[in-house]
Amino acid sequence: MKWPRLPKIFWIVLIIVLGATSFSYFVSGHSIDYITEVKPIFNKKCITCHGGVKRQSGFSLLFRSDALAINKSGKPAIIPGDPSHSEMIRRLSLKDPEERMPYKHPPLTDQEINTLKQWIKEGAVWGDHWAYVPVEKTAVPKVDNWFFGTRGGGDWVKNDVDHFIYQRMKEEGLKPSVEADKATLLRRLSLDITGMPASPSLADYFLKDARPDAYEKLVDTLLSSPHYGERWASMWMDLARYADTKGYERDDRRTIWRYRDWLIHAFNENKPYNQFLTEQLAGDLLPDPTDAQYIATAFHRNTMTNDEGGTDNEEFRTAAIIDRVNTTWETVMGTTFACVQCHSHPYDPFRHEEYYQFMAFFNNTRDEDTYDEYPLLKEFHKEDSVKFIQLQDWLKQNVPAKEKELIKFVKTGEPAINSIASDQLTNAALSDTKWLVLRNNAQGRIPKVAFDNHTQILYRAKSWTPGGKWVLRLDKPDGPVLNTVAVNDFTGIWKLNAVSIPAITGVHDLYYTYQNNQLKSPDANGMQFDWFYISDPFPGKGVKGYDSASKYFTDLISAKQVTVTPVMVENISGMFRPTHVFERGNWLVKGKEVKPGIPHSLGDLPANAPRNRTGLAMWVTDKKNPLTSRTIVNRIWEQFFGQGIAETLEDLGTQGIQPTHKELLNHLSWQLMNEFNWDLKKIMKEILLSATYRQESKLNKDAAAKDPFNKLYARGPRVRLSAEQIRDQALTVSGLLCEKMYGPGVYPYQPEGIWMSPWNGQYWKQSDSCDQYRRAMYTYWKRSAPYPSMVTFDGTSREVCTARRIRTNTPLQSLTTLNDSAYIEMAQHFAYRMQLLGGKDVKQQISKGYELAMYKTASPEKIKVFEQLYQNALQKFQKDGYKMVCMSGNQQQNAATAALVVVAGAMLNLDEFISKN
Amino acid sequence: MSKDNRKIFEEARIANLSFETRRLFLKDCVLGLGGLAMGSFLSGCNWMGAKDGMSELFNSSNPLLPRSPHFPGKAKSVIYLHMAGAPSQLELFDFKPDLMKLDGQDCPQSLLEGKKFAFIRGVPKMMGPQANFKQRGQSGAWVSDHLPHFATVADEVSFLKAMQTDQFNHGPAQLLMHTGTPRLGRPSMGAWATYGLGSENSNLPGFVVLTSGGKFPDAGKSVWGSGFLPSVYQGVQCRSEGDPVLFIKDPEGMDRDLRKASIDAINEANRMSYEEFKDPEILSRISQYEMAYRMQISVPDVMNINDEPDYIHEMYGTKPNKACFANNVLLARKLVEKGVRFVQLFDWGWDSHGTEESSAIDYGFVNKCRSIDKPMTALLMDLKQRGLLDETLVVWGGEFGRTPMQENRDGKKMPYKGRDHHPEAFTMWMAGGGIKQGTSFGETDEIGYAAISGKTNAFDVQATILNQLGFDHEKLTYQFQGRPFRLTDVHGRVINEIVA
Repeated sequence: MKWPRLPKIFWIVLIIVLGATSFSYFVSGHSIDYITEVKPIFNKKCITCHGGVKRQSGFSLLFRSDALAINKSGKPAIIPGDPSHSEMIRRLSLKDPEERMPYKHPPLTDQEINTLKQWIKEGAVWGDHWAYVPVEKTAVPKVDNWFFGTRGGGDWVKNDVDHFIYQRMKEEGLKPSVEADKATLLRRLSLDITGMPASPSLADYFLKDARPDAYEKLVDTLLSSPHYGERWASMWMDLARYADTKGYERDDRRTIWRYRDWLIHAFNENKPYNQFLTEQLAGDLLPDPTDAQYIATAFHRNTMTNDEGGTDNEEFRTAAIIDRVNTTWETVMGTTFACVQCHSHPYDPFRHEEYYQFMAFFNNTRDEDTYDEYPLLKEFHKEDSVKFIQLQDWLKQNVPAKEKELIKFVKTGEPAINSIASDQLTNAALSDTKWLVLRNNAQGRIPKVAFDNHTQILYRAKSWTPGGKWVLRLDKPDGPVLNTVAVNDFTGIWKLNAVSIPAITGVHDLYYTYQNNQLKSPDANGMQFDWFYISDPFPGKGVKGYDSASKYFTDLISAKQVTVTPVMVENISGMFRPTHVFERGNWLVKGKEVKPGIPHSLGDLPANAPRNRTGLAMWVTDKKNPLTSRTIVNRIWEQFFGQGIAETLEDLGTQGIQPTHKELLNHLSWQLMNEFNWDLKKIMKEILLSATYRQESKLNKDAAAKDPFNKLYARGPRVRLSAEQIRDQALTVSGLLCEKMYGPGVYPYQPEGIWMSPWNGQYWKQSDSCDQYRRAMYTYWKRSAPYPSMVTFDGTSREVCTARRIRTNTPLQSLTTLNDSAYIEMAQHFAYRMQLLGGKDVKQQISKGYELAMYKTASPEKIKVFEQLYQNALQKFQKDGYKMVCMSGNQQQNAATAALVVVAGAMLNLDEFISKN
Repeated sequence: MSKDNRKIFEEARIANLSFETRRLFLKDCVLGLGGLAMGSFLSGCNWMGAKDGMSELFNSSNPLLPRSPHFPGKAKSVIYLHMAGAPSQLELFDFKPDLMKLDGQDCPQSLLEGKKFAFIRGVPKMMGPQANFKQRGQSGAWVSDHLPHFATVADEVSFLKAMQTDQFNHGPAQLLMHTGTPRLGRPSMGAWATYGLGSENSNLPGFVVLTSGGKFPDAGKSVWGSGFLPSVYQGVQCRSEGDPVLFIKDPEGMDRDLRKASIDAINEANRMSYEEFKDPEILSRISQYEMAYRMQISVPDVMNINDEPDYIHEMYGTKPNKACFANNVLLARKLVEKGVRFVQLFDWGWDSHGTEESSAIDYGFVNKCRSIDKPMTALLMDLKQRGLLDETLVVWGGEFGRTPMQENRDGKKMPYKGRDHHPEAFTMWMAGGGIKQGTSFGETDEIGYAAISGKTNAFDVQATILNQLGFDHEKLTYQFQGRPFRLTDVHGRVINEIVA
C-alpha cells in the first residue's frame, strides 16, 4: 500500500496531535468507558458463548454480578482492580489454542486485551447503554458564526436542532446546503405533515406570502389541518398492526375501525403523547372510562384471532398476549424484547424471567381468542341509544350502587365466562372450538367459577329440539343441584336466558348435565352456549320504572343495531389468571409463577403505581423511563428525514445502530417531556423550523463523497414517498380525492382474484362513488391479502407490528403506477383538470399539470419532453378511435384528451413526483 | 436507450462503483464490469457494512443482482410443490399392512394419552390404508395405485418417511414449513433464497408463486412473504387467469410503441432530475422503468403455455386457460428454464377430514391424487430430458401428515372416511438438484403413527434445500432487531442421507 502524498505540514501536525493525545492519555489517566470501549469487544468476541443465551463454563458477561461471580472453574473470571489475577485476561493471552479464548476463534488484539486489562484495573466498572439511562438535559453546543462567512454569516442556524447538526457537520468538514425554494418546501411540508399535497389555495397563499414568518405560518396551518391526524394515524397503524380482518387461516372480518377514528381524533386534538399511550395501554382501567378510552385499548386488540377449526384457543390467546408484550416494547420503547421470550437477552440487560413479569401486566384481560372476539364495546344506535340513556338514568336514580356494574355489562358484555372455558366433556364438544354444544346425556364442567353470593346466571344459548333438561350442580358431577332448567326452545336462535342459583361464597367448579330423549341420534346437537354471566336478578324490583328498565337491560344485551369494537377489559378478581415463566418460551411448559414487573435494569415502577396496566402505563410515561421519549422523537425524525437519528427504530439497544446525533436525540426527548409537556405538534414544529430540515436536497460532489447516506444532514431529505402518500398525492392532484373522514374501511378498485382465503366467503365489492377515492389509510385491510398496489410500495400486511418500513425500488412499483386501473383513472382526471385549468394551448395544459403536481414551473426542456410524447400519442389516437375512447375515459372523448391522459400518466410516474425532494 | 441516457448510465456506473468501494473498506469483491445489462448497471458488490442496519447482501439500488452462494450449489433452482391441507401419507407412500388388520377397531388408549388432536375426540377407530400398494422400480419404493404415473419414476426420488412437525393446524404448520416459525413475521424460504442468490434473469422475478385448487394456502401470502427482509424478495404471484403478474398489462388503448414512448419520456424527465439532484436512487428508478417495460414482454411470454408442443401438453395433462396444478407445473418448468430461482406451487384441497365427499379419503382425495399424478411425473421426466433435473431441485410435501385413526369430529361418526391432522409422521420427497435417486430415509412404526428412526423436520428440509443451492443454512443471515436471523433459527440439519 502506497502512502498518499501529503504536505509535510500535515505530518508535523499529525505528530504533534498524536503526541499530545497520548501524553494527555497517560497523564490524565484516561479511564476506560465500558459502553463505548469494553461492551463492543464483549458483544463482538465473547457474548455469543458467554451471554444471555449460552453461558459456557457458567460464565456470562451480560450483568456485572454474573461476570464477577464464581463460575464452574471455582473462581471468578474477573477480579476488579486486579487484571493479573483475573482468569479472563489470562485465558485471552494464552498461546495454546485449546485453552486460549475466544475458543476456536481468532485471538483478541493486544490493544483489545490492554483495554480490558486497564478496565479491570480501574475496577471493572459496568456502564449503562445510553438508551437505558434516563434522559438528562443536554447542553446545546454553540456554533461559531465565523465559519459561515461564505454563506452570509451565521444565518444558517435557526434553532437548537441546527447547533447539534452543525457541530457534527463541521467536525466532518461538511457545509450545510442552502434553503430549498419555496415550492419545494411547500410540497415537502405538506407531504410530511398531512401526507398529501396542500390545497391550491393554501399553496397560492404561501407562495405569495413574502412575510418573514410565512414558513412558520404554513407549518402552523398544516399542523392544524384535519389531514394531519389522518397522516399520523396512518403511521401509527403499522405499529398497532391495524387491520380489518382477524388474520390466520380464515382471516374473517373484524370491526375495529373506530380505533382508527380514535387515532385520527387523538392526533388532531393533539392529545399529549403520555396520555395517548396511557389510554391505549390502560384506557379501560381509568376511572369511569369513556367509550373513547375503551376504544383506545383496541390498540392491543389488533392482535390476531384464530378461527381455524381445531385450534386451541388458549394457545392463540397466549400468542396474542405475547404479541402485546413485543409490540409494546417495539412501538413504545424501541426495544426488541421478543428474544427474552425464550432466554435472557443475548446482548441487552433483560432476564428471561423479566419477560414474563412484563407479560403478567397483559395476562388478565377477558379476551380468549373467541370467535366473536369478546369483549366488544357496543355503540348503540337509534332507539337503542335512547333506551341506553334511560336505563342509565334509571339506575343512577334508583340503584346507584349497581349502576357501574350493569352499565359495564351492557356496554362490554363483561365479566362473562366464555362457553369455550368448559372442559371434562362427555357427549358434548367445543364445536369447531368456538362454542359449547351438548348432545343427549351430555356432561361437563365450567372450572373455577366465582360465585361470590350471586344468585343468577344469565346466559346466551340456543336450542334446536324441545324436551331438554339442563341440570346445574356444584363442585362434583353428582354434587348438589343448583337448579334444573327445562329447555323447550326449538328455534336454533341465540337467546338470552336466566337461571337462578342459591347464594354460594367463593370459587367453585360448576358441573352440568343435559338430557333430551327427543334427540333421535346420539350425534345430534341439542343445545349450544355462547357465554355465562354470574350475576343477580335485575335490581330495584317494585321501584317505579322497573319493568321498562329491566326490559331495556335485556334488550340492549341482545341489541342488533350496534357498532362493536374489540376492547380490553380486565378480569375481575375471581377470574384472575396466574402468569408463569414459559420454559424456553414454550407455553406448554410452565415454570415458576411471576407477578407483574418491569426489567430491573430500567428502574422501578413509580412508587404509587398499581401492579396492573395502569401502573405499566405510569411507568411507560414516567419521565424517568429512558426509552419512551427517545423512541417517539426518533420516529418523528425518521418520518421527516427518511431515517432515524438512530436508524434502527425497532432497537435502540446495544445491537441497534448507534445514533448519528445522540445529544440531539437526548435534547429533543428532554424538550418533548419537560418543555413541551409531551406535545407532539410542538416537537414536530421544532424540527420542521430548523434550517436542517429546510435545506435543499441536492447532492454535491463533496457530500456525495463524504456522506452518501446523508447521515450528517448537510442536505435536505430526499426519499421516496410511502405507499399511502403515493396514492393520496395522485388522488389529490387528479382532483378525484374524496375528503370524507372516518368510518369503516373502503374498497377502491382492486383487480379480480386477490381475495382467496379458505373457508371464508368474503369478496371485494368495489365501493360506490366517493368511497372509491378515499385516502389510502381507509382502504379495507385484509391481512392475508392486503391491497396489492400499496404492498408493492412496501406497505405491510400488518400481521405483526412493523416498526420501520424498508424502502425498495422495483419494477413492480413502476408497473403499478403505469398500469393499475386506479392510476389510469387518476391520469384521466388529471388530464381533464389540466384542460380545465390550463387553457386551450397544449403546452400550457402540460405546464399547468406540472405545476399542479410540483407547485412550480417546469423547465422548457421538460415541457418539451412531454410535448413530444403528446404529439406522438395524438397521432396514434387520431388514427385509432377505439384506442382513443379507451384512453380518454368517460368525459371528453377525443384524441387530444387521450393524448393528454398519456402525458398525465407519465407525470404521475416521475421520480420527482413519487419522491419528496 | 437514448444517447443521453447511455452517457448518464455510464456516469452513474462509475459514481456507483466508487460509492460502493467506499462502503466496502477494501473488502474483496468482484465488480460487475462486464456486459452493461440494464438490470446490473448499478452493480458493484453488495456487501454493505453491517453498520448500515441492512444485512450484508442487500443493496437498495439493485437488490436482485445475481450473487454467488457460499459454495457451488448442485441445484440452480427449486420447484417446491406444496399440497396445502396435508395429503395422507398412509394412502400414498407409507404402506402399513398392520394397520389394515386393525381397521375398525378402537384406537388403543396408549396412542391417545397426552395427545392433542385437531378434531378427534374420545376414542376413534383405526382405519387401514384406503389404497393398494406396490413396490416400484429398482428401488422397490412403495407407491400406491393412486399415483400410477408417478410410480414409474419412483427411482428418481428420495423419500423422507419420518417427517415430523410440532404444529397441527394448517396455518401455523405451513408457516413453519416455509418460514421456519409457526408465527407470522419471518421471511419465506424463497425470499431467503432470492436474498442470497439474487435473480438470474433480470426480466423475470427471482421468486415466483403459482397457486391452484381455487384457494390460497391457509397461511395466506405470508408463506411466500419477505417478513423482515426488504419486500423486493417476496414471491411474485403469477396467475393463470387475469394478468399473469398484477398490472403487467398496458391499459386498453396504450400500444407497445406508445408505452415505450411514455417510458422514454418519464426516464428523460427523470434524467433531468438526476442532473439536478444527483441522487443515485433516480438512476435506479430509471432502470426499474426499463426493466418494467421488458417484463411486460417476458412475463406474458413465459406464462403462455400455448406454444408448447402437443406432446408436452399431453404429458403434463394440461387444461387450456385454467388455473390448475398441471398448467402450473408446466409453467414452473418454463420459469426455471428462464432462470427463475425459486418456483413455489401451492395446490389447495388436501385436507381429507371426511366431512363431505370432496374431503373423503376414498373420493375427493383420490381425485386430488389424479390431478397431480400426471403433471408431477411429467415434470421430472421433462426436466430430465432437457438435462435440467440435475440442477433443479424438486420438493413435494404437505405441512403435516394424517392420523392412522379415522376422524370422529366432536366425538361423532363422520359421513365419509377421513383422517385428522397428524404432526408426528408424514412423508415428503425430493428429486433432482443433487439428491440421491431411489432412496428412502426414515421409518415410522408398524401403523404409521409415529416416526421411529431417521426423523426429519421442516428445519432439516430447509437446511437441505439451502445446502443444495450452495448455502450453509447457519450462515445465510440477515441482521434484524439487533441480531442475525436465519431461516432455520437455531435448528436444522442437512439431510446428508439423501444428498448424492
